[in-house]
Amino acid sequence: MKTVVIKEYGDFAIPNAYVLDLTQVTVKDCLGCWTCWWKTPGRCVHKDLDEFYAKYVNADRVIIFAKVSRGFVSGNLKTLFDRSIPHYLPYTTYTTGETMHVPRYERYPDVEVYYLGEFASEEGRKVYEDYMRRTFYQFYFKGISVKPIGELCLEGVI
Amino acid sequence: MNTIILNGSPKGTKGNSEIFARQFIKDMKHPCEVKYIANENPQQLAQYVQDFEAIIIIMPLYVHAMPGIVMKFIEHLKPAKKGQALGFIIQAGFPETAHEQYIENYLRVLAQELNYAYLGTVCKGEAAGTYMKPEFMNKKLFKQLNNLGRLYEGTGGFDKGIKEKLGHPYKLSKFQLTFLQLLEQTGIGKIGWHKFLKDNNAYDKRLDKPFLF
Repeated sequence: MKTVVIKEYGDFAIPNAYVLDLTQVTVKDCLGCWTCWWKTPGRCVHKDLDEFYAKYVNADRVIIFAKVSRGFVSGNLKTLFDRSIPHYLPYTTYTTGETMHVPRYERYPDVEVYYLGEFASEEGRKVYEDYMRRTFYQFYFKGISVKPIGELCLEGVI
Repeated sequence: MNTIILNGSPKGTKGNSEIFARQFIKDMKHPCEVKYIANENPQQLAQYVQDFEAIIIIMPLYVHAMPGIVMKFIEHLKPAKKGQALGFIIQAGFPETAHEQYIENYLRVLAQELNYAYLGTVCKGEAAGTYMKPEFMNKKLFKQLNNLGRLYEGTGGFDKGIKEKLGHPYKLSKFQLTFLQLLEQTGIGKIGWHKFLKDNNAYDKRLDKPFLF
């Protein structure tokens, strides 16, 4: 199984995984230039993620160890999400009853998100989890799991 | 109310958020100061906005939420001084504003947790092409934004009626859905995109999968 790990904390041993270590890497911010749609379809004007992209779009599963920041996705991880736009076409489809972009690739991996951090309220936790699930739904990921890291430890996975 | 507007677009003065900000302050007697998150150090900006009674962030919707640069600013935003208010105006590409509900929920919780008076989040869909349209096609939108800003200056809040109109449709009606599906099936919906692709000699590469192996 081809696995990509995106981590903002921890040091987990996932066999044969490609790791994007966001504790060390600051992703260049999306410029909103639409070069990835209009000029070089599927390719971002920044080149810092090219190696990651090649692993990501060919992976079977993506594991994200996300640090909760101000009750949300960190700025660096949010930029990584913004930079996922090249993997979709600019065209829109309405087959699900709402507007969605058309996928560029035939398949996308499954995703497991394990987040670390506290929320001031249960509502805050729900807002965070709903956002994560919604993002990967729109990204056409099939299996989507969003859990606090504590649950993973309890399950004995790590 | 002494208000600062923060433009949260990575495009700074060249994007739709800039147009929204300029239209929002156009009919104010004392137009608000506008700063650009893309051009500022987030930590210093968070310090600077502390002296204002209200902060309004105007930004595009990126992947169902704020652009990464705005989140980097929010990470440094300090808890409110007594009576400070926080509000948002979001412009998005998709027509229905239900897509904004996820970020709207977060922004409400954020304001509450940092003790800001929450002004609300004004959402406008189908705004991606605002900067490309001739002025007459934006006339209605601009009038709504002018009024929103003028009334904000007078009341210190977002007018409920204008907010509702800008946020329409929240979901696509059956008629809208059928119409849009027709555009999709006939390929009419792609014409604009194809023009941009052809102008950039990229039409033949439009379906490329550059990272597949």
